[in-house]
Amino acid sequence: MPDRLSFYLKKNSIIHALNPFTKLTLVFAIVTYGLIGAGFWTATILVCLALLPLAFTARLLKEYLGVAVKLILPTAGFMFVMQSIFIPGGTTEIFRLGSISIELETVQRSYLIASRIFLFISAFALLLLTTHPSELMTNLTQRGLPPQFAYVIISTLQIIPQMQAKSLTIIAAQRSRGLDTESSFIKRIGLLVPLVGPLVFGSLVEVEERAIAIEARGFTSTHKKTYLHEVPDTNLDRAIRTILIALIIVAVVWRVWPS
Amino acid sequence: MSQDFLNLLIALAAVGLVLGWAYVTKRMQKDFSSTMTWVLIPVAIAINISIGQLVLVLKLPVYLDSIGTVLVGVLCGPWAGALTGALSNFVAGIIFDPGWWPWIPVAATIGLTAGLCANAGFFKTWWKVVVTGFLIAIAATIVGSPIAVLLGGISASGSSIITAFLLQTGKGILESVLTTNFLVEPIDKISTSLLAFAILDGLSARYLARFPRGENAQLDQQRRTSELVIALVTVVILVIVTIVFVVPLTNN
Repeated sequence: MPDRLSFYLKKNSIIHALNPFTKLTLVFAIVTYGLIGAGFWTATILVCLALLPLAFTARLLKEYLGVAVKLILPTAGFMFVMQSIFIPGGTTEIFRLGSISIELETVQRSYLIASRIFLFISAFALLLLTTHPSELMTNLTQRGLPPQFAYVIISTLQIIPQMQAKSLTIIAAQRSRGLDTESSFIKRIGLLVPLVGPLVFGSLVEVEERAIAIEARGFTSTHKKTYLHEVPDTNLDRAIRTILIALIIVAVVWRVWPS
Repeated sequence: MSQDFLNLLIALAAVGLVLGWAYVTKRMQKDFSSTMTWVLIPVAIAINISIGQLVLVLKLPVYLDSIGTVLVGVLCGPWAGALTGALSNFVAGIIFDPGWWPWIPVAATIGLTAGLCANAGFFKTWWKVVVTGFLIAIAATIVGSPIAVLLGGISASGSSIITAFLLQTGKGILESVLTTNFLVEPIDKISTSLLAFAILDGLSARYLARFPRGENAQLDQQRRTSELVIALVTVVILVIVTIVFVVPLTNN
């Protein structure tokens, strides 16, 4: 598990200052173009001409490349290699390796899928790098998402570190009474019970207290709620969103029209 | 491509229809009638993610990353379970990498199926829980296989090696993915359900009654302890069976 619990990195840039909803629209536009773009290189071109400049503008080029190389490239690369080798169906053979033949068509198909997946994941990764999760959820709540959803997402992000701290305490406590945590495979399965049991039951028992606490603070109230922190939504944001939505509509219409 | 798109539209329409029906008939609202549901969901997601990570570290041949989802499905109802599964994958996408997001429908199906089975009274004794686990596995396979095929059939997960092996023996992509899932999923989902059952067994009746569908988890009282032992033994046997049969298969 990473040290920090979200990708978000605070920087002073135009991209960071944009409204989260604008960035979400941008990601949606990129995904749409990647999906319906007919060309073989569409996804690759979008990564080079849209995502890399955006990451550069956000002053996160190094971090973005780090995420791409460490997280996304292994997944996409592994898929590309495995699919190229193992999925049969092509006719033009490039070379043979024992009983396995590698065909040009399969490699092309695998590249298309892998590059699309790379594009989608890295587009969302860029959104998460430049947007704090709670800011995104607050903004979506202000736009009509039920506040309970925002509560679930944000409190999950807070509970997980608490549970990690608690599990370290439990491991320490069990060791102090002589539990051997560095032994054989079968013994480690047996360890799950004294380690996971207190963690799960402890967390579940807290649920009741927490429910009373948030009910007392008007969680179920149906009145319109006010916000401590307003997320700015400028004219620039609205202009960018309008352009992006127009671009998406143009792309979809252009793709559907002839058929 | 257009045929795939049409199928996607049909699937989306079906999902929309079911959701609309559940909303109009107030089935959905019952799940979310209590604050307990909204507070349990984050905890369940945290349980999913923590145990999933722990199992990954221990290198056990199962995922066990939906125990919390099954718990919510049983205690609060199918729709709350579906929401927990979906948000669980959403949050995992925020924390680890957005590669979790394509699997949101599968996670939602797991919670939904668990809830429906529990509503039918199939979460009260250990053998019924095994049946529930099996049904969850089938539902997850049905929803997951098209997504796996859409992603090319082979992903970065360990079970993909089985898919690759089957593809080489000349089977089609859909067939290979389905076979792989039918091998791996039941073991994982039955263990998940049994562990959720063991957790429910450890909670007090007073606590369970605070949830919208707490009565689903009121276990049959006779032979409770012996059944728990049998359930745990079944998990151990399943894990051993996996080690003996599936691991050599992946090594070949």
